[in-house]
Amino acid sequence: MLRRTFTAMGTEVEALLDAPESADAASALDRVEADFERLEQLLSRFRPNSELSRLNSEGRLDSASPDLVRVLELALEARDDTGGLFDPTVHDALVAAGYDRSFDALAERREAPAQGAACGGAVRIDGTTIELESGTRVDLGGIGKGYAVDRACDLLALAGPCLVNAGGDLAVRGGTWPVGVTDDVTLELSHGAMATSGRDRRRWLAAGEERHHLIDPVTGKPAQSEFLRVTVVAESATAAEVLAKAAFLGADVDVPRVLVTEDGRTILAGGLS
Amino acid sequence: MTDRTLRLYAVVIAALVFCIAWAVVAARPWATTKTDPRLVALAVREQRLRADAKLVRQIVDQRTATYKTALAVRQAQNTAARSLAAVQASGPAVRVVNLPPLTITKSS
Repeated sequence: MLRRTFTAMGTEVEALLDAPESADAASALDRVEADFERLEQLLSRFRPNSELSRLNSEGRLDSASPDLVRVLELALEARDDTGGLFDPTVHDALVAAGYDRSFDALAERREAPAQGAACGGAVRIDGTTIELESGTRVDLGGIGKGYAVDRACDLLALAGPCLVNAGGDLAVRGGTWPVGVTDDVTLELSHGAMATSGRDRRRWLAAGEERHHLIDPVTGKPAQSEFLRVTVVAESATAAEVLAKAAFLGADVDVPRVLVTEDGRTILAGGLS
Repeated sequence: MTDRTLRLYAVVIAALVFCIAWAVVAARPWATTKTDPRLVALAVREQRLRADAKLVRQIVDQRTATYKTALAVRQAQNTAARSLAAVQASGPAVRVVNLPPLTITKSS
């Protein structure tokens, strides 16, 4: 079993490849690492020269890369499919909640202003041209990571059965992979993907209140949820990321899922037992 | 034998000698064999082209073999990917197990 870990998209990425050590395997792992870096350079809102940052600052981007267009299309489809529970236009709400820099930098600041901001602005895509409604900015943090995981898995699968895990968003191709969800629950994934959304990590203080990064697009503020964290299984990491967030916000998603309530109870649902 | 017959023989022999002499003169046996330099250059060029063709053939054969090997690998990968896609089309497969996890999922 080959294992490669590296940092990308503000989290630790782990790539597991069930193949003997060889130049091809090493090359496949290199490609995964390079592709994460490439996608982060396109999709990060924390890199001022990324394509996404240029789109957010100028409100319009001509000749956008196919990856940015695709991720944005997926995000907008997810907004429609979840009735707005998943929304890529939560950028300003995240900033207003204090998540205005990478999480590592945020943790050092400790305190941040606590406000809300409107979500749901229009995003128009015409070929490779993207246009945002005035005052709308986009965050693709979660879904971008899911997209990167799916792509990385496709690249790595050419070298053998594999798993790619980017800070909780993970996907597998071939083989069987036991994945720890809680201290007591381990799910064996043969194919598909898994993602976890929760407020037990990526949280900070704002005006004396604890805040987290899961914005409720209806209020434009960090969501109130009966769950501490939700893990869902889906066909792709992109879909799992969307469904996990929707389930965290209370949507009744019909997929295998593990819900952890605030009082620590673990609920298996969607065919898991 | 009459004089007339003798004269006839003499004429025939003279004609024969004349023809042989003509053939010898036409063959120019005294002239040294001189090779045309253009023919020499042409022969050298032909040799070089034959050598080049042999080399190109070797390179083409080598590259064809490499390509065929890569093609076979790629076709095997495509077959595996298609099989995987067919399996994945049926949706994710997951079950609860009592095994030590290889990795963990956490809130992203």
